[in-house]
Amino acid sequence: MSEPGSNDAHLTRRRFFSRVARGALGVAAAGVAGAALVKAGARRQVWQIDPFKCVQCGQCRTHCVLENSAVKCVHDFVMCGYCELCTGFFYPDPNALNEGAENQLCPVGAIRRVFVEEPYFEYHIDERLCTGCGECVKGCSDFGNGSLYLQVRQDRCLNCNECAIAAACPADAFIRLPADRPYVVKHLGKDAVNPESANGGNA
Amino acid sequence: MAHPRRTPVWGWALVAVAVAILAVPALAVERFPPPDFTETGHTLPPLVQPPPGAAWQDIIHAAALAVGLALAAWFALRLRSRMAIAWLSVASLLYFGFYLGGCVCPIGSIQNVTAALADPAYTVPVTVVLIFALPLVFALLVGRVFCSGVCPLGAIQDLVLLKPLRLPLWLQSALSCVPLVYLGLAVLYAATGSGFVICQWDPFVAFFRLDGSPGMFLWGGGLLVLSTFIGRPYCRFLCPYGALLGLCARVAAWRVSTTPDECVNCRLCENACPFGAIRAPTYEGGGPQP
Repeated sequence: MSEPGSNDAHLTRRRFFSRVARGALGVAAAGVAGAALVKAGARRQVWQIDPFKCVQCGQCRTHCVLENSAVKCVHDFVMCGYCELCTGFFYPDPNALNEGAENQLCPVGAIRRVFVEEPYFEYHIDERLCTGCGECVKGCSDFGNGSLYLQVRQDRCLNCNECAIAAACPADAFIRLPADRPYVVKHLGKDAVNPESANGGNA
Repeated sequence: MAHPRRTPVWGWALVAVAVAILAVPALAVERFPPPDFTETGHTLPPLVQPPPGAAWQDIIHAAALAVGLALAAWFALRLRSRMAIAWLSVASLLYFGFYLGGCVCPIGSIQNVTAALADPAYTVPVTVVLIFALPLVFALLVGRVFCSGVCPLGAIQDLVLLKPLRLPLWLQSALSCVPLVYLGLAVLYAATGSGFVICQWDPFVAFFRLDGSPGMFLWGGGLLVLSTFIGRPYCRFLCPYGALLGLCARVAAWRVSTTPDECVNCRLCENACPFGAIRAPTYEGGGPQP
């Protein structure tokens, strides 16, 4: 066994290469992290659905990693026509214009229909029941004003690194929005969807 | 001189048809004019927009990672206590795994950093860059303490390990190349914006969230069954971040070593290591073994 003092002499080359490699890897890691930091800008992004691209395929209900999807239907009341015959609420050609289960399009009865004044009715989404299937959205978009639309509810969303629904979305409707402005308000129009153009226009 | 091309009449007809078709959805927005409720003066309900979790949660996440790494380094190099590291990894499993739900983890952060470098529209928060860089820095200094004590994916595999088999060396070496390929593919996919494959194939995130598709449970469950007799199969033969950490740990400044003065070359440790990480001793001087 060699005496402790002579260790350095034996290991010079090995230690030298080790140090060089350590330095190189350190510089590489710092470089990558630094370059990413320069781009960082500290703004967190969250997943959201662009309602103008959504085709209501129904995969939001099935593809979320949560059993109860984080995607829910929301109602932009400003756009709503308050129709008595709401095509987001009723089956096509319903038996009667009432809340009977056989008349309702929503498979889980998550839409509440409230009379406001003749001939207007208001439609509320119960998010605890809504599965995000988009049936009502399809009905409202096809024949109505399109005031019902799907959104990722940020209090439910786990903000997965790779959103499972985004990976499956056939319309490429999943976008990333800054966390301080995490929703698309549909009546503000298509320009409000894109953060860049919205910053130019509004903020 | 170039003559300007004239659009034929049928071309204009096509344009007119296209405009008519495009105009239909534009008109559709105004199918039923919203009422103004003159009788009842009804006011529209507000648009409810629950906000996402606050940003300080990410900062706590990164800070907890740093504390975990420091503790693991201290346990491994100073205390030299396997038990302390085991308890730390249980705590990490509970916090990073079951409490935080496994996102964002350093393994997946490779893709965020790659996407940030490749895609000008993609932004990555400073905390995610920290989560990416901290374990690498620690690996350069004190080895893969992230793997041993902090990573929840490693901890869940360690917990179910019952009777580790020793894999033949050739198989172990061959399978060790897989993480590098996986890393390359993941970087390629993230850089081209094709998706985050590491996250899509994250084996245990469904267990951490106690929620997920049958396929996710099947993939993770299969790996857990494998983990009962092969130590940490994901870490050793798949994990792309492990490949990066291994590269750094190879040249770490300080590392766990057997105590040379007390070692009697019994080579029992080779058999005891469940991960086949201890090889036959070599004489550091380079010459023949004394």
